[in-house]
Amino acid sequence: MLTPLTQDLGRYMDLLAERQRLVASNLANIDTPGYRTKDIDFQFEFLSLAPGAKPRVVEPPELTVKNDGNNVSLDRETRLLAENAIRFNIASQLARAELRKIRMAIEEGRTA
Amino acid sequence: MSLFHSLSVSASGLAAQRARAEVIVENLANSETTRTPEGGPFRRRDVVFEPSPQISPFAAVFQTELGSGATGVSVSAIIEDTRPPDLRYQPGHPHADANGYVAYPRINPAEEMVDLMGAARGYQANVAAMTAVKDMLSKSIDLLR
Amino acid sequence: MTPIGSIPPIRHPDPVEPLRQSAPAGAAAFSSALAGALEGVDALQKNAESEITRFLSGEAVDIHQVALAHQQAQLSFELFLQVRNKFVQAYQEIMRMQI
Repeated sequence: MLTPLTQDLGRYMDLLAERQRLVASNLANIDTPGYRTKDIDFQFEFLSLAPGAKPRVVEPPELTVKNDGNNVSLDRETRLLAENAIRFNIASQLARAELRKIRMAIEEGRTA
Repeated sequence: MSLFHSLSVSASGLAAQRARAEVIVENLANSETTRTPEGGPFRRRDVVFEPSPQISPFAAVFQTELGSGATGVSVSAIIEDTRPPDLRYQPGHPHADANGYVAYPRINPAEEMVDLMGAARGYQANVAAMTAVKDMLSKSIDLLR
Repeated sequence: MTPIGSIPPIRHPDPVEPLRQSAPAGAAAFSSALAGALEGVDALQKNAESEITRFLSGEAVDIHQVALAHQQAQLSFELFLQVRNKFVQAYQEIMRMQI
């Protein structure tokens, strides 16, 4: 990677994409008997995950289990859906700004 | 692994909830049907959902998503209600039996409506998921500019 | 002359500065320094190409990963071009001086 910052932003977006996939899976299975909510421990994975490795899928604790064994909460998943998308948006904008800055620095060097 | 894959997952959710809604609507339409071509009153039907791994149409042939955790949903079966029908005393009815009882489907329209709202809510949730993912994909493409 | 083994992180136009300040050690130093930098650029290019190929063949690669890999390869190549041009410029100046 050219800078540690773009590397971090890339990893952040990787994890957000992974998390959003699991949210989509949870919402598809919101009425599936026996299905348990899937998620990743975002903070932990961001700090410790090796680049290129896949985060561990875990079941969030303290979710209410309905009679049919399903514990997906529409409120929780909807909230995560929005939050992941917004954070991804922010990270991609920051990455673009960083790349622009690098490009400008290189082009500046040309005329110096 | 890939955000595109989650579109397949959400699409499977849409299909499953729609199938569920169709079954419910049929229950509602036939809540008073006392005779079917198979004989006997209409029997209430229900869908059974099961998690089902989805292969994206663009995925490499050897690629499976089983290890990734994200899974879609499919209707594994449509089951019939096996409870005995609702017998009502109507001696003049053409379908009445020897004792004057007519067998009606055991369908409660209020329950079916609540179930239908659940299917609509589930459908809407999958639409929201697809929209959010499409937005993230669009932002990703912006990174190329 | 500080040998360039890998592309340093960019903060300002700084990376171009050392070229103007340091004295050259000869043609050999130029070409080996360039060769080292070129390896780094090549690695990033190959990485970007492989990400694109993986994406096209349907593997589980996210678009943002392809985009970032592409941008990095692009930027490192642009930087390499600028550095090489400065090298060539400096080299030509020195050759003129010795005559």
